[in-house]
Amino acid sequence: MTTQALHPSVSPQEPPRLTGMSEAVLAEVAARLAEVVAGASVPPIDLTAMPLTSEDRADLEQRLGRGEVFATVESAGRSQIWETQFSGVWFVRHFGENDRIASECIEFGAAPEILFSHRADMSAAARRLAAALQSADAREKTDH
Amino acid sequence: MTLLEFARGPALQVAMIIFVLGATWRFFGALLLPWRLAPAEPRKGALSPIAAAFKGVVVKMWPHKPFQKAGMFTFVNGYILHFGLAIVVFLFAPHILFIKGLTGLSWPALPNNLVYTVGVVTMASLVAGLVHRLRSPVLRLISRFDDYLSWLLTLLPVLTGLLAAAHLGARYETLLAVHILSICTFLIWFPFGKLMHAFMFVFSRAMTGVRMGQRGAEL
Amino acid sequence: MPQAPKLAPTLGELLQERGVSRRAFLKYASYLSAVMALPAGSASALAEGLANARRQSVIWLSFQECTGCTESLTRSFSPTLESLIFDLISLDYHHTLQAASGEAAEKAREAAMAENKGKYVVVVDGAVPTKDGGLYSTIAGVSNLDMLKATAKDAMAVIAVGTCAAFGGIPKARPNPTGAAAIDEIITDKPIINIPGCPPIPEAMAGVVSYLVSFVKLPELDHLRRPKAFFGETIHDRCYRRPFYERGLFAEGFDDAGARQGWCLYKVGCKGPVTYNACATLKWNGGVSFPIQSGHGCLGCSEPDFWDQGGFYRPLSTNLRDMGPALAGAALAGAALGAGAAWASRRHQESYQREQNPNEGDKK
Repeated sequence: MTTQALHPSVSPQEPPRLTGMSEAVLAEVAARLAEVVAGASVPPIDLTAMPLTSEDRADLEQRLGRGEVFATVESAGRSQIWETQFSGVWFVRHFGENDRIASECIEFGAAPEILFSHRADMSAAARRLAAALQSADAREKTDH
Repeated sequence: MTLLEFARGPALQVAMIIFVLGATWRFFGALLLPWRLAPAEPRKGALSPIAAAFKGVVVKMWPHKPFQKAGMFTFVNGYILHFGLAIVVFLFAPHILFIKGLTGLSWPALPNNLVYTVGVVTMASLVAGLVHRLRSPVLRLISRFDDYLSWLLTLLPVLTGLLAAAHLGARYETLLAVHILSICTFLIWFPFGKLMHAFMFVFSRAMTGVRMGQRGAEL
Repeated sequence: MPQAPKLAPTLGELLQERGVSRRAFLKYASYLSAVMALPAGSASALAEGLANARRQSVIWLSFQECTGCTESLTRSFSPTLESLIFDLISLDYHHTLQAASGEAAEKAREAAMAENKGKYVVVVDGAVPTKDGGLYSTIAGVSNLDMLKATAKDAMAVIAVGTCAAFGGIPKARPNPTGAAAIDEIITDKPIINIPGCPPIPEAMAGVVSYLVSFVKLPELDHLRRPKAFFGETIHDRCYRRPFYERGLFAEGFDDAGARQGWCLYKVGCKGPVTYNACATLKWNGGVSFPIQSGHGCLGCSEPDFWDQGGFYRPLSTNLRDMGPALAGAALAGAALGAGAAWASRRHQESYQREQNPNEGDKK
């Protein structure tokens, strides 16, 4: 008897599809959202290194669903951010080269951190804008 | 040289040489002794020596009726232990590969999870055996250092093997090295203590059968 | 008011000039903390740390090597997220990548060493030949051994990239004609991080450098000085074929039914169970695949002396092929000993019986 004959039903390549991990992640999402409602700030759930099968990921994404906000950030490659159908639960997906998912996480709160403008960027922008206005002013004067 | 390289290399080589040398030494040393029978004439109607030898080996595999109640635990637990050991040692895929590397012989393996389960049962049976031995005044009285050492050296490979499979307590290579070293000590002790019964039990039972048969005792 | 000494710009300021926002830092940081399995929520701290750090001066020394490590780090990145690593460091010397050559190149190395004394990081790929005064490999007339010692002297830390630098690798394989040695056998008074692999995973190199720049400390290392974030688990532990191993389903060759069904490669020599690396999770070429997924067992390239472990296609568990004659000899010797013992015992018994019954022989 060969080993193969002992296990006729084994599928090739990757073993079982839905592993129950999406269920576990959803339970964690619910727990963290409850904490946010109670006023705490909670860390994101990183999905990148989790042993999720592609079916697990699809299941998780589908059950969290899409809410009212969808944003694309173009900074060092593309990122997609959307609020799930549960307010305060955000899906953040960063792409690397070749549109491969580089990292993804679920964040909690009013909006995920990456959507906020950073103070350093704002002050640089203020300087840049002022400089731009100045040079426009100067141009106007020379024109007259 | 790492611990694993030492265990797999020199340690295992030396242990196997000692095992083979010691086992053949004791085996031939015992079998080449005179097969002396009692000087008396065989009883009338006594079994022929060959039939008695055969019967001695087979009949002793199950307790006689009068002893069944008292001896049942030893028999059942003994069977669990020995079958468990045989399954774990000879039907675990990495072990088969080891044997194949040594002899070129190979056969199908059982699924690892099943082997792990059998390993746990085997260990429980070993522990139960020790408890039984310690709780019985008679057994305790006739037990010697050899009995306890042989028990320990049988337990250790099973325990360390399970730990290595479960990755419990240390890094896998360390656990594997300790597992192999525990087998080395087992192999080294094997020929010189009661573990040698694995080779000798057939002959001792056969010889008992012949002696009993000659006296006309019921086997 | 006295003029404050002019500091070099922070990475945040530097990159802002090029239109790189803090979002890019945050994104890079969340990517790295995912890759390095840093505690949840440390991405913002990492991002701030990176943005406020100065550009890290890096001197890259290549010794007995094949340039595969440099290829791994540079070729697998296109200008997106992952390439940010090159903005975080100032690669002041790398004789494969730098434009300068000859005298000018060596001058650049010396200038960087003087300017950033005690603060620069030395990255080494390749082993160092130590036999015969190290004459088997020289750069600009200086032996690798002397150059390593001189360059590492004022370094903040040394990163040994690749198995050759970390453990001696292929140059050190038997019979090691050049006396090749690992970096940590030569440099003993500096913090050393080993990032082995043949080549190492690019994310591991980028992750460690970023961690160093941002937190100004070494990541947690294992007993072989490898960062635990990447070398904390075996290939086997995280292998997608692991369930087949547990069920006892093995490919027996590279073209049998088992191999076609993607079963475990243990029996055809996979070294995954004793190899610590992140190939099974991070994979290669931007997450496309890794050796086992492509149908070949792990060679164990991130472990010491992987070249001399008895054969890439020999299963891990077998190492006794030459034992036959020794065991046969032991069996013969044992049989002879046994026969001798039995013979001695017979003689003893006979003489004992003769003593007990001196007349028995006469009766017969």
